[in-house]
Amino acid sequence: MSAALGQSAEEIAQRLLAGEIAAGARAIRWLDDRDPRGSALLSAIFAHTGRAQIVGVTGPPGAGKSTLTDMLVTQWRARAKRVAVVAVDPSSPFTGGAILGDRVRMARHATDPGVFIRSLGTRGQAGGLSRSTHDAALVFDAMGYDIVLIETVGVGQDEIDVVNLAHTTVIVAVPGLGDEIQAVKAGIMEAGDIFVVNKADREGYEATRRQMELMLHLRANALPDRPPVPLLRAAAARGEGGAEIVDAIEAHRVMLVESGDFTHRAGLRLRDQVMGLVRDALAQRALEVAGAALLADVDARRIDPHSAAARIVERLMQQGSVAA
Amino acid sequence: MTTLPRRPLRVLLAKLGMDTHTVGVTIIGHALREAGMEVIFTGLKQTPEMVCAAAIQEDVDVVGISTLSAGHTRSLPKLARLLREAGAEDKLLVAGGVIPQEDKPLLEQAGVHRIFTMGSDTRDIVAYLNDWWAQRQAEAAA
Repeated sequence: MSAALGQSAEEIAQRLLAGEIAAGARAIRWLDDRDPRGSALLSAIFAHTGRAQIVGVTGPPGAGKSTLTDMLVTQWRARAKRVAVVAVDPSSPFTGGAILGDRVRMARHATDPGVFIRSLGTRGQAGGLSRSTHDAALVFDAMGYDIVLIETVGVGQDEIDVVNLAHTTVIVAVPGLGDEIQAVKAGIMEAGDIFVVNKADREGYEATRRQMELMLHLRANALPDRPPVPLLRAAAARGEGGAEIVDAIEAHRVMLVESGDFTHRAGLRLRDQVMGLVRDALAQRALEVAGAALLADVDARRIDPHSAAARIVERLMQQGSVAA
Repeated sequence: MTTLPRRPLRVLLAKLGMDTHTVGVTIIGHALREAGMEVIFTGLKQTPEMVCAAAIQEDVDVVGISTLSAGHTRSLPKLARLLREAGAEDKLLVAGGVIPQEDKPLLEQAGVHRIFTMGSDTRDIVAYLNDWWAQRQAEAAA
């Protein structure tokens, strides 16, 4: 029997730090809903973060990211690691509703106490993540999970925000998406730490692999300071390739720790989150100071977008100096 | 683009037991999504233990069970009991599908809050959930 959850940030923080799953789940709900208690809770648990390895899994829709995630979780569990998964799916920009279906491929881990799976809708955030993904990763980190795996929405050509969040980014490609170039446009190729060609049992695998090798060769020439990146083969639906990918993720962690980049990347991630929160707050404030008259002038084309934006920023600055 | 609601209702949809009929639950899922809710699918052949664990990890407001192949008089009361034991009795448990009238009292007594039988209109289900959610939020604000 577990006691029902209370309403205070302090209680939820204590219970999640003790490892209670329901408390961690409630914390993420508050943060995702922008409940004011979320911020208080985050400052109470923040000192306990910084240990987990955050792993991003990204790639185009249909690349098999969820099935691959399921296979990686199985591998980590066999190595006695505790794993949390944040699975992001798109929210409708029109209704705010979402179908979150990534759990379906991970059902075998449903009752494993060492695995915590949370589905999040993007809720208006672009870039392949939800607006609360950073926060969810912090909660799981504080709860003591060894690995926090972030599975992004299916991405196109440059929605690679996960790179700023993860210590290690795994890019998943598949054969048969038409022009091989399509799956591996520049932004994605420069971002990954580990590349995987999934569905390797499918026709077209060799061609996709050769294309990826060529792109990675060009990347190595263009970015000579970056370490070489592994290109691995997987057929996740058959359970093939998981051990090699987890080995590569672990090798990447060791490399990051030895070079000092493990904490450096985490620092960049936190800085990125701070600036995101500032942008949100400023945008909200800007809407308030803009005033209905100015916005009506924009609607009626009496003022151009650049001039309107400059005027709003001017007003924001004036307000700031008055407040100071 | 409309302003997104601050707190979308989160709903877990699951099928218990060996039932593999997915048309109904898929239609409900899309209707709830169109109504602005976040719908989490767990997949087929779930045990009450799996559904309870998923409901807690996802911190949903509503657990919806679709059942079309009997077994619900055992599995639904068990799920209600597991949720209570986990301290999650605040979640709304609803069920739908092929459920005979005579089973209703037993299920309601066991903790199933509402049963939608065959032929239910998705708009009625949406309205029921929205009303419940509005009331829950009003209580929380009070």
